[in-house]
Amino acid sequence: MVFNSLDFFIFLVIVFSLYWLVLKKNLKAQNFLLLFASYLFYGWWDWRFLSLILLSTIVDYIVGINIDSSEKKTIRKSWLWVSVLFNVGLLGFFKYYNFFVDSWVDMFSMFGYNMKSTWTLRVILPVGISFYTFQTMSYSFDIYYRKLKPTRDFLSFAAFVSFFPQLVAGPIERASNLLVQITSKRKFSYDRTVSGLKLILWGLFKKVVIADSLGPIVDDIFANYANYPASTLILGVTLFSFQVYGDFSGYSDIAIGTAKLFGIELMSNFKFPNFSRNVAEYWQRWHVSLSTWFRHYVYIPLGGSRVSKLKSVRNIIIIFLVSGFWHGANWTFIFWGAFHALAFIPVFLLGRNTIYKNSVVGEYTIFPSLKEIGQVVLTFGIVTFSRIFFRSESISDAFAFIKVIISNFTYEVYHHPNGYRMIDYYVLIILFVLYEYRIRKDERSPFKFKSKVVRFIMYVIIILFMLLFYDDSIDRSFIYFQF
Amino acid sequence: MKKLILKTILYIFLILLVLEVVIRVFHLTKDYPSRYVDEFNVEKWVPNQGGKSVTGIRRQNFSEYKINNSGYNSYREFTPSYSKVELALVGDSFIEGFHQHYYNSIGKKIENRLNNVEVYEFGYAGYDFADQLHLIHAYKDVFDKIDYVILGLKFENDLTRGEYNVVQDRMHLETPLYNGIRKVKLIVYAQNNGLFDPVFDLIGKLASLFKKQSKKTAKEKTEKDIKKVHLEYIENFKSLIEKYDYDKKRFTLLLDSNITPQIFLEYLYKNNYRYIDFYEALNKTKAPTTLIYDRHWNNHGRSLIASYIAKELETL
Repeated sequence: MVFNSLDFFIFLVIVFSLYWLVLKKNLKAQNFLLLFASYLFYGWWDWRFLSLILLSTIVDYIVGINIDSSEKKTIRKSWLWVSVLFNVGLLGFFKYYNFFVDSWVDMFSMFGYNMKSTWTLRVILPVGISFYTFQTMSYSFDIYYRKLKPTRDFLSFAAFVSFFPQLVAGPIERASNLLVQITSKRKFSYDRTVSGLKLILWGLFKKVVIADSLGPIVDDIFANYANYPASTLILGVTLFSFQVYGDFSGYSDIAIGTAKLFGIELMSNFKFPNFSRNVAEYWQRWHVSLSTWFRHYVYIPLGGSRVSKLKSVRNIIIIFLVSGFWHGANWTFIFWGAFHALAFIPVFLLGRNTIYKNSVVGEYTIFPSLKEIGQVVLTFGIVTFSRIFFRSESISDAFAFIKVIISNFTYEVYHHPNGYRMIDYYVLIILFVLYEYRIRKDERSPFKFKSKVVRFIMYVIIILFMLLFYDDSIDRSFIYFQF
Repeated sequence: MKKLILKTILYIFLILLVLEVVIRVFHLTKDYPSRYVDEFNVEKWVPNQGGKSVTGIRRQNFSEYKINNSGYNSYREFTPSYSKVELALVGDSFIEGFHQHYYNSIGKKIENRLNNVEVYEFGYAGYDFADQLHLIHAYKDVFDKIDYVILGLKFENDLTRGEYNVVQDRMHLETPLYNGIRKVKLIVYAQNNGLFDPVFDLIGKLASLFKKQSKKTAKEKTEKDIKKVHLEYIENFKSLIEKYDYDKKRFTLLLDSNITPQIFLEYLYKNNYRYIDFYEALNKTKAPTTLIYDRHWNNHGRSLIASYIAKELETL
């Protein structure tokens, strides 16, 4: 079941009504409903993989209790390893097994040994596996580091692991935020519900209007890059930047908005990353829940920035490579991670990696300064360039794409593959960027206008755009589902 | 919760209302003309009405139509006489041309290419060969005065029946319920752009849960089956010709040889039925000849067809 489907809409209305109208006085019943709804939501896609979620839930539930019940470091560590090995093992098998086998075979063939890749398996990647395994692992880590007490309420813990708004594509929550809310009594709040509905509307706009409508253009350009000039390839990768942002941040907004409907606050996952002034700021604004996860559970345990400069650089390289690899079993993602590490390290060495942590572009002014515009354009350019690796089918395709940009540096008017007017899309992107700039200070309030009339007009415009750009022939699944 | 429900209902109502206004003001969707069956049992548009025809999201193709006194989309009235030279184009939506401005139709383009010829377009979406011949037969006094008659023919679609009768399915679109729904432009827009498809898909899915699945699988048509159908269609053609007096001297078929079986083309040739084949005319050009959202001819396609007909007409 995907968020932008009629099935989900009906499902949400039913679950919401039962949750607040029938079960409002019974926390256990509400949690049971959340768990049942989450399993139904996931099972809609493929019920067989529910067993993996259940298994991951049981393992970390037991691990959590056992880590906490022991004072001996070795025993605690052993139980932590059980969690890590189990969850990473699941990921390794379902996501990376074929990649490792193929890479092994490729490596041998480079030395002249021709091996047949008979060990690869026809494994389907279970949706959301990268997200919920990380979430359950974080629970065990937090108990190990004594930041959290384990729960003995299995029902609540299972609801925490499988909470449907964020089950398949995050935000990756920490138990200290989500589990605590699930085990606490929740009261219906009109304001929170309305704010959730607004986020859902905004998320749907980003998904349906921005991401889905740009999809066919990006697909066409990346599939036929060898036949296009540089101008078209640059257009393609730029539009992909907006597509992937609209797709993933749209999903996150819908997830956060949906959670609000059930009285639960999830962490922000996107904070207008397109307005970042350097790569470090970009990573404080893009897929925040994943960056936070890697910072807490990989970067800091490795010593973070409190070690020598050289070791810090090593740590940065590690987390970017791991982060890249997390996205998918393909060398393209590892290159993408390596590229970001290379872009991040100079910012880190110059000590500018945290200077924009608590501010946004145009913090005290209506318009950004020329310097800020330059910084934003440069950062956007770097990030967009890296997306050539992110979007290409293979590493050789990515380099061939770059080669065409350099060797065929010419301009040609691009025509939409389905014959639509391209000007519609250019205007759409410009309006989108301007609107995002207007709301840049608060990612949780996309319709923050004092006047009710202006707010209402914005709702109408957003829905009108959805009508104007809706295309029933487009594949409406989310890009990050594949991760 | 009560406040939430009430406000949600109010907001949904207001938003739908404003969207309806916006769609009407910017003509984002098409108007539906009314149809009827006249005293000669001919299905056509109610005379003297006009409107806008829009295809695709974001008004990708916009045009105006004007139904004349005879019940067909045309900039001119049909007033044939023995003293003038007239050409009648009879056919389906391709001749009807709601997807083009009525003052820029194929007929007008032919008139621009030929001097002193009046072109009458008897086009109506869904007309097959039976509809066309019945029309000519029913309005014999009108068509007898017309010098040339060109009938559009798509073999696969237009010869499925050997006798004319009113297509009730089309006339059901004139029931008060359909008429009422079509007055709400937001519904028309949503329906035309597939926004209701998920609803129908879901209903279909639910219905299939309660229906017993048929174990029979559709067999692929063999060459023998196809030939049988073709022969049946040719029989229908013969039956229609016989019933409705086909005038071989004045009548010419307009067809695309690429989608017409050879057996039928040979039959036409052997029996001296004249036809204009526009396949080459449309396919020798590199520019697209159809619209984005459907297979109807775009302005370029219409110009090519008009030129071709005009050229062929000069040889008649």
